[in-house]
Amino acid sequence: MSDEIVVTPHAIGEHTIEADAIAPDRLASLSQLEIARLPVWAGGRPARLGDIFSVRGERASTVRIDGDATHVDGLGSAMAGGTLHIEGSAGRRLGAGMTGGAIHVLGDTGDDAGSAMAGGLLRVGGRAGDRLGAARAGAAKGMTGGEIIVLGAAGSEAGAGARRGLIVVCGDVGAHAARGMIAGSVIVFGAAGAGAARWSKRGTLVVAGTVDVEPTFGFACTYRPPHLRLTLTYLRAKYALPIDDGYIHGLYRRYSGDMAELGKGEILQWVTE
Amino acid sequence: MDEIAEIDEIRGVAIDDTFAEAFTMHAARVIITAKTTRWARQAALELTGFATSVIACKCEAAIERDIPEAESPDGRPAVSVLLFTVDAESMGKRLVERIGQTVLTCPTTACFDGLPGAETRVAVGRPLRVFGDGFQASKVVGGTRYWRIPVMEGEFLVAETFGVVKGVGGGNFLILAESADAALEAAEAAVDAMAGRAGVILPFPGGIARSGSKVGSRRYPEMVATTNDAYCPTLRAVTTSALPEGVHSVLEIVLDGLDADAIAGAMRVGITAACRAGVRAISAGNYGGKLGPHHFHLRRILAGDDAGAAAR
Repeated sequence: MSDEIVVTPHAIGEHTIEADAIAPDRLASLSQLEIARLPVWAGGRPARLGDIFSVRGERASTVRIDGDATHVDGLGSAMAGGTLHIEGSAGRRLGAGMTGGAIHVLGDTGDDAGSAMAGGLLRVGGRAGDRLGAARAGAAKGMTGGEIIVLGAAGSEAGAGARRGLIVVCGDVGAHAARGMIAGSVIVFGAAGAGAARWSKRGTLVVAGTVDVEPTFGFACTYRPPHLRLTLTYLRAKYALPIDDGYIHGLYRRYSGDMAELGKGEILQWVTE
Repeated sequence: MDEIAEIDEIRGVAIDDTFAEAFTMHAARVIITAKTTRWARQAALELTGFATSVIACKCEAAIERDIPEAESPDGRPAVSVLLFTVDAESMGKRLVERIGQTVLTCPTTACFDGLPGAETRVAVGRPLRVFGDGFQASKVVGGTRYWRIPVMEGEFLVAETFGVVKGVGGGNFLILAESADAALEAAEAAVDAMAGRAGVILPFPGGIARSGSKVGSRRYPEMVATTNDAYCPTLRAVTTSALPEGVHSVLEIVLDGLDADAIAGAMRVGITAACRAGVRAISAGNYGGKLGPHHFHLRRILAGDDAGAAAR
């Protein structure tokens, strides 16, 4: 047993690697040799994990990807516990369907990170791709729990179809953030692209920057939302996010909608301290 | 076990060789935040009003302490309140009616559970949410569900459930003084010394009770409690008095706590502060040790023996 399992990419060519075997709870009971024998897909062909990565350590619930994994998809998907550190960037479907544990990515992550996530923490130090915490293709629900923190920007459809959970994006988000959201919260400290919260039933989209509010949202009032004050205080304490007091105690314009749906959702647009 | 030297007097004030007898109760901690300390405290005062004794008030409650903004759940001024009931079920009822009438109604407040780790939970925000008449919404923050209830001012935020733990109710000590003025000054000094201690409240007005009671009645069978005639100075000549010569007024400090250690620690500080000029003795109320499982022996507490003090 070791403190951590270090997985270092050494033979990633131009093909994408599908490596959903790399999840801390799946590796926690395996020897170094057993880990190296786990199946992965390289460019659509079956391979062994040891063919692509060198492995150090065994039987640990902390796994570290020691290098860039931009072309490695499915890391930490469906994981239920443990901690996965990625020292570089990660590919698509990072933490998809995860139910517990924590993933920390130093760099960026590809599309569909945290899609259909049900629990745990996904923290991205750089930028996230499209459909962050959103629904899998064809699925009715996006993330149903857990927390996603992105220190950079995120692509389109962040939180689309989310049923529960919290997504925080410190930069901008692309079009259709919180589209069709059923419940939960998406907090954006930058600007939101077109179609924000369109077709959402419930849930909260917070935008500190600019947002074009859809005509199917109705302006309610300008106020200081108590739940947002609590949420931002919690985020600052738990994740050491540099959230200014002006956002925590500030005034927000509340828009209710989407009136084309239930109309129980809201967009909270930060106005001023 | 090493013998601990018991303390039988402080600054010339006799410490009676007796103990306070206390009971197991159920406790909840309510944290109220508001825009300013004024409004947090106002809501806390309303919440803890008419809550001196479970005998008639159905609960005992008081402000525990002010919470600095840095420790507050939402970063605003906060006040912590402890509330005690005889059982967990009635705790839920008391919290719902009191928070619903005094915190929900108070400008700028939000209401949080101060015992999030407690296994026993009672629903508070869940029943209160229907005041929102269908416009209410919930939000999960850090694994805890809160209810957002729309009100004319904006929104009231309240935790869905509150934790309940077993606590101790009825810790007490009596200040036997030469005059009413001396008794009050000593009691005030004791209250000031105990103020702000975590895990303890003094549920009576200003922390002081002038009307200590005995169980039952010598004359009225329907009465649960009547005046403690043995400690009433005006009855010295007509009843079996417990008052030493020279004592002309008695005040009582009653303490409820989250555990026996909290009460013992507060009693030590309070009694020490109360031992001053004009006070003849410090005593305590008990029922012969047959009713309550928690016994706080005054002399042992003052010697720093909290564990021994709380043993039956």
